[in-house]
Amino acid sequence: MESLSFPQFEARNSQVSVALFRNVANSGALKLRIISASTTEGDLGEAEREAVKFAFVDARLITSKLHLETAIYQAILADSQGALRTRTVHSEILYLLNPTHNITEAIRRYGVSETSTDVIVVRVDSPDVTPDEVQKKMETVVEATISPFGELENVTDWASIKRYYKLNGEVVIKEAAKNPPKEHAIIDEIVTSSVAMKSVMG
Amino acid sequence: MSSSTASARLLASSSLISQGAEAKVYKGTLTPGGVPIVLKYRFKKTYRHDSLDATLTKARVAGEARALLRCLRSGVNVPGIRMVDASEGILGIEWIEGNSVKHLLPSGAAEDVDGDEEVPTGLHAYTLEDYGLSADTLMGLIGVEIAKMHLADIIHGDLTTSNMMVRKASSQLVLIDFGLSYHSTLVEDKAVDLYVLERAFASTHPDSEPMFASVLSAYGKQVGKEWPALRRRLDEVRLRGRKRSMVG
Repeated sequence: MESLSFPQFEARNSQVSVALFRNVANSGALKLRIISASTTEGDLGEAEREAVKFAFVDARLITSKLHLETAIYQAILADSQGALRTRTVHSEILYLLNPTHNITEAIRRYGVSETSTDVIVVRVDSPDVTPDEVQKKMETVVEATISPFGELENVTDWASIKRYYKLNGEVVIKEAAKNPPKEHAIIDEIVTSSVAMKSVMG
Repeated sequence: MSSSTASARLLASSSLISQGAEAKVYKGTLTPGGVPIVLKYRFKKTYRHDSLDATLTKARVAGEARALLRCLRSGVNVPGIRMVDASEGILGIEWIEGNSVKHLLPSGAAEDVDGDEEVPTGLHAYTLEDYGLSADTLMGLIGVEIAKMHLADIIHGDLTTSNMMVRKASSQLVLIDFGLSYHSTLVEDKAVDLYVLERAFASTHPDSEPMFASVLSAYGKQVGKEWPALRRRLDEVRLRGRKRSMVG
């Protein structure tokens, strides 16, 4: 698990933990648990919401660490300005990753689903919670072990990303098609920049 | 900007590298120890009415970000976008390690006293040879990059040799500062863009005619069939200047 600090944000949002889980066994059940947690009432609901208070991101659609961190930064920034388009800073990350303004679509594409085997788990929290505690909480909900983030390069599904971002028609992508590392670098820059400027996308 | 916002604290932790009439430019990081980025802060203009100022600032940050993304999608070498806070007037972009073309060409940055240049890179002043480029090759890179941008119907609006950089790692030419850019398909706008660069060359670099000729020849090859019309229009613009006559 990796930790990032953002001292410019208020304490409750200034510590971010990110972990890549591979070979996740319970993604379908996890998705159902997140859905039911959002509608359960009373103390049980509170406890369930706390247990799944993460962004669960399908790792196939992430091109690089910078791509993910950009979405995290813009999500916390939106929260700090009272400008969230979704209910929580965690769901905002999924919203920002998707190129359209459709929240349901963002969660369906970028969130955890029955077919997800590689899941990136993100927690935005206060520095009072130690990294060990966060990691334990992650490992309690996700049935898998944490892999080094560098393994992301074996997971990224470039074809889907090109489709979602409508990049197949772009000349620069076609020209680089025979050189995958170059093509991937171009796509990574386009999607990272798209996430960064989503608030002014128009 | 109130000092209590996240972006104000971000700027406070960054270092100022240049200041113009429209914006201040900082070097900073989003997270301690992270990769450096450029923060372009369009500060509040007290000579404008508050709400007009807010609207204009927001629109300009948005416009610049959109132009950059359009360039990226069209394969034009520009800095990537790293963060946007339109309500505070801040655009965070990729830090390009390298030098401006102005700095690399003869008698550009040498007597630069207007402070409109990047921070000194240390003891060693970089030259074209450090990048493995000849002046002529560099002119070709400039022509090709501007042509790619114009083919995407983006007009830069402020083409100068200070607004072009050469990346240290790849010797790639990168266009920067899209603060005055806009979208247009008109031959007129593209010709004026080229004319502005020609004037900038003439006023910044002595004996620049052959250099600018190489820029144009590379530009012409890259734009293809639109070139004859563009060249004719550039000749017209040269005769009358940047502004069209308002008469008639």
